[in-house]
Amino acid sequence: MASSSSSGLTFKLHPLVIVNISDHYTRVKSQMHPPLTATNGSDGVDNTSSSPSSSSSSPSRSPPPRVYGCVIGIQRGRTVEIFNSFELLYDPSTHSLDRAFLEKKQELYKKVFPHFYILGWYSTGSDAQESDMHIHKALMDINESPVYVLLNPSINHAQKDLPVTIFESELHVIDGIPQLIFVRASYTIETVEAERISVDHVAHLKPSDGGSAATQLAAHLTGTHSAIKMLNSRIRVLHHYLLSMQKGDIPCENSLLRQVSSLLRRLPAIESGKFQDDFLMEYNDTLLITYLAMFTNCSSSMNELVDKFNTAYDRHSRRGGRTAFF
Amino acid sequence: MDSVQALITQIQGLSSSAGDVSRLHSNLKQAEETIFSESARLFSALDQLDPSIHSLGYLYILEACSSGPLTKERAAALVLPISRFINACAVEQIRLAPEKFISVCKRFKDQVMLLEAPMRGVAPLLTAIRKLQTSSEHLTPLHPEFLLLCLLAKCYKTGLSVLHDDISEVDQPRDLFLYCYYGGMICIGQKRFSKALELLHNVVTAPMSTMNAIAVEAYKKYILVSLIHHGQFSTSLPKYTSSVAQRNLKNFCQPYIELANSYGTGKITELQTYVQTNKEKFESDNNLGLVEQVLASMYKRNIQRLTQTYLTLSLEDIANTVQLSSAKEAEMHVLQMIQDGEIYATINQKDGMVRFLEDPEQYKTCEMIEHIDSAIQRIMALSNKLTGMDEQISCDPLYLGKCTGW
Repeated sequence: MASSSSSGLTFKLHPLVIVNISDHYTRVKSQMHPPLTATNGSDGVDNTSSSPSSSSSSPSRSPPPRVYGCVIGIQRGRTVEIFNSFELLYDPSTHSLDRAFLEKKQELYKKVFPHFYILGWYSTGSDAQESDMHIHKALMDINESPVYVLLNPSINHAQKDLPVTIFESELHVIDGIPQLIFVRASYTIETVEAERISVDHVAHLKPSDGGSAATQLAAHLTGTHSAIKMLNSRIRVLHHYLLSMQKGDIPCENSLLRQVSSLLRRLPAIESGKFQDDFLMEYNDTLLITYLAMFTNCSSSMNELVDKFNTAYDRHSRRGGRTAFF
Repeated sequence: MDSVQALITQIQGLSSSAGDVSRLHSNLKQAEETIFSESARLFSALDQLDPSIHSLGYLYILEACSSGPLTKERAAALVLPISRFINACAVEQIRLAPEKFISVCKRFKDQVMLLEAPMRGVAPLLTAIRKLQTSSEHLTPLHPEFLLLCLLAKCYKTGLSVLHDDISEVDQPRDLFLYCYYGGMICIGQKRFSKALELLHNVVTAPMSTMNAIAVEAYKKYILVSLIHHGQFSTSLPKYTSSVAQRNLKNFCQPYIELANSYGTGKITELQTYVQTNKEKFESDNNLGLVEQVLASMYKRNIQRLTQTYLTLSLEDIANTVQLSSAKEAEMHVLQMIQDGEIYATINQKDGMVRFLEDPEQYKTCEMIEHIDSAIQRIMALSNKLTGMDEQISCDPLYLGKCTGW
């Protein structure tokens, strides 16, 4: 179903659209998750314009929901720039998107962004499906060549590219019948300054598994650590060499021995007791400061955890009152 | 006899590999009725089975035998086989039926208590705990039973060995309450007041939806231990205490709070009169011994306060300020405190002067480095666990519902 598009249009996608789709999907998925206690968490949350399209109601291991929505933007000549998106309800009985809502939203958006047009629609999943063509054709009366943005929500650590694909529709002759099929189109990401700042912010959130060092300090320390590791391994090699020379496995090489002895003579010569004392005291002070920093970090995360726990589970949690923190 | 023999051969046959054992497990579950009805005959047939190989079958039979009313003769008959079974059983097999194992061990504890020989139950229960735990951080329902037996048998040291583990998984909240309460009492018995304070603090601040008798008793001991160890007590509980506890605990422990108030004044005579007047109340809670320790600690507190004002002081003056009867008694107290490491001082016996010194720890030794390093490692592990829990609760639908539903 997917081959390269030949329409010659260039697509530009803004990160806002990607974040919107992923947020929509996450919200719907977390509301579908069965709550742990009797109180139904999803009832209290405002459930405005989205609903899972999958009709499965089993509480465990249901297939991930598909979310639907509309993308809007500007089309100038051969460039299609997708700026924004909004959510739509999918009606499983008629297999189409809610038309009345779509038109109302379009009117509202026109008032704020007069240049934006409906460029197409989005959904989630791993690949385009047959039923999607139905929705695609329904949108063709608003835009004669709509785009279909597909986000793959399953996280694949090996994949380096964005899991977003843009499909166009083309009329191909298959088995003698002209049919509309989806073809992939290439796209580039275009950012506005505000989007760049927010994506930068999200990328620097510290991962909990302590992944690769994102901060400058951690990078510096990692560099020092690898340098020391290399020094250690080199010294180990020399040591092993000298040991085997002593045992007689290798013939004695005097020039090498002279080099090793000159290296050893360059090592720091202070061995007095007072030096030990001062050195150990400073070392201990540095360790204590690290300990204090970790302590503060730990206490602050504990504090947040306690607040969250109290909000979630304590029936009459105190709001505004302060008690002495032990 | 037929069904009994058939059962025995089945157990003997199906206990070799993991697949066989799971089949045996399902067969045994279906045959529970027959096991219960034929329990007496099965009990006599037990010597045909080997507890280390046929643990699952042995467990089912033991559970059927030990249920039912408890009499001294039955207890005496069952105690030895059960303790032998606990020592010999295979871990993977009993983990298939943990509730049965737990009920057998609980019955074992009842029997041992009925025979008034709690010491006999201590070692088997310790083995049982180690076999049932999935990790060293797992709190099983057997932990509080074990600690209770240790308390009754007065083997505090064995109890302490179990208390060293940090707990992060709990099966039942009641287990945690009882475990921390008994653990606190054991630590008080061993005079490790800081650990006792920590355990009792856990009971008092644990999440609870209604008032809990265990928490009330723990709070009383908590007040007393806090006075002994820290010399002060504040009634405000930290914010992670449940609101139920925060509002109601104080009402149940009124005499103790007043004791703490009069301790705060620093006058020995007042404290003594208060204790005298309320002696029966403290006695009925079995806390009189602790209260007397509180009295003794008052002297210590006053002497410690002197170290902050004076560099040297004569024994006479110490005796007068702290309201002790003679210089000799003051010397005894100061000597004891120096030995316990509570103050740093030297006594000059020629002229009866005490010179107070600074803490001699210079923090320059390698042992101190290792100590701090291990503390840093522990706190790193704790920090990782906390971030994991934080993420888990942020995704909890109950929390999200309350958070966004305002």
